[in-house]
Amino acid sequence: MSVIATITGAALTRFDHRRDGSSFRDWAGDAFEAALAMSGLDRDEIGALVVASESDFFTFQLNPATVIAGDLGLTGVSALRVEGGGASGQLAVHAGARIVATGQARHVAVVGVDPSASTLPGSTVKMLYGMSFDQWSDGMTGTTSTALYALSVQSFLARTGIGVWALDAVTMANRANACANPGAHLPRRHGAAEIASSPMIAAPYRRLHCSPLSDGAAALILSYPGAVPEARRGAAGIVGTGAATDKFHLGARADLGRFAAKTLAMQRACAIAAITPSDVGLAEVYDAYAGAQLQALEALGLSEQIGADLEAGRFAPSGALPVNLSGGLLGQGAPVGATGVGQTATCALALEGRYHAGLQPRELPRYALADTHGGVCTTAAVTLLQAGAEA
Amino acid sequence: MIRREVSLSYELAPGWLAPHVDGLLQGRAVARGCGTCGRVSFPPERHCGCAAPAPHWITLEGWAEVVFRTDGLDGSFALVSFAGSSTKSVVRLVLDSATGRFGTLVAPTDGQPALLLALNGKGASDDTH
Ligand SMILES: [Zn+2]
Repeated sequence: MSVIATITGAALTRFDHRRDGSSFRDWAGDAFEAALAMSGLDRDEIGALVVASESDFFTFQLNPATVIAGDLGLTGVSALRVEGGGASGQLAVHAGARIVATGQARHVAVVGVDPSASTLPGSTVKMLYGMSFDQWSDGMTGTTSTALYALSVQSFLARTGIGVWALDAVTMANRANACANPGAHLPRRHGAAEIASSPMIAAPYRRLHCSPLSDGAAALILSYPGAVPEARRGAAGIVGTGAATDKFHLGARADLGRFAAKTLAMQRACAIAAITPSDVGLAEVYDAYAGAQLQALEALGLSEQIGADLEAGRFAPSGALPVNLSGGLLGQGAPVGATGVGQTATCALALEGRYHAGLQPRELPRYALADTHGGVCTTAAVTLLQAGAEA
Repeated sequence: MIRREVSLSYELAPGWLAPHVDGLLQGRAVARGCGTCGRVSFPPERHCGCAAPAPHWITLEGWAEVVFRTDGLDGSFALVSFAGSSTKSVVRLVLDSATGRFGTLVAPTDGQPALLLALNGKGASDDTH
């Protein structure tokens, strides 16, 4: 299969709750400068900018792409902002890849950023997230993101027979991975008792099963494969992208515990990449809630015996299919617009063998998967990456 | 730090959902039916998914069976199956402490349209209707 776009640059800021007076514009700049430096390209070689940011409510800035273009010294480039709820970042990666593939620019910067933690009170963000679902039905009912995910995972657990223990296992594993990620928001070594004593938000989800609200940014430089600088010939490339939507009413789905849009997105990406899910050797998976990771593994076709694979350590850093080495949203954190961009950056860095020591797989996988969604997998976006020929 | 405060007051037109929204305000379950494929959706779907939709509005009986329920600091919500609907619905349970598998759609007391279900506290369908 051919490379759609080479990832010549990839960088993330740390994800956390900033209390240092810095703003989302600083983080966007930091991530972009690091990615640009990695690419070896000059600023004036960047022909387009794609910005992912979920909501103007967080940034207090309409039309953020133009402002960020100016901050990055890119005024004059084609700039747009991509929004698709939690999937905003991955959809921005797709938009950037399309710009490269259609020859509109040889090098594209994709910058994901959101101040999800620091600009608004948590209760306000919770109310805003409630608007991520059909505002005319579920939204008016006053439901929360956690409650909808809870109903969805109850259905999943009932159908698969997997116990609630698996929610604890994912939570502990991802936060433990985060301990080796210096940029992670919640590096923790939880015990089951600690999880069991955290407040019940929406059964079966306790507070520790939920990802945090974070600040941060991530950036990629996507390059036309024929225009990759000599020093970056070993870089990973995007070989498949896929996106899909599902019914936005949970109750209208044939099976509310099944992430059908993710399955469709994965099938589309695999068709383009000419690979199958079993070829994937590393995955960053959208774990807004612990159970969502299990539902994602099922929908992506990455496991047919999720409970057994989880217990056997298949998804651990040393396992056959490391999942969420970064810590995922649960451990690394979730600055929404930065999430999908950061997942893809993490995959690219790992495929090059330059991810954080202690998390970097010793044997480089050939293919990696970045999986992101918005709503309760109402919109799904996945990206398949392939290691560079010289990696 | 720069402090900004914004108060937003929206006037949201219900549009094609008007019969449904009006129904909720009165505690009636107004669903969308398709004369071609027979699908009944509640909350209503604008497009049923069939090739030749023939949509119309149907008022359901208004009682529902709980399929999944979640309780916690966020409140009590449930995925329920309304009698006569092909789809299931997410509702807020108004009597948080009530148990039982069956309940009835009730009108909001604050003038805000919402899917609110009052559980009847009983456990079998023949107790409810
Ligand atoms: Zn129809």
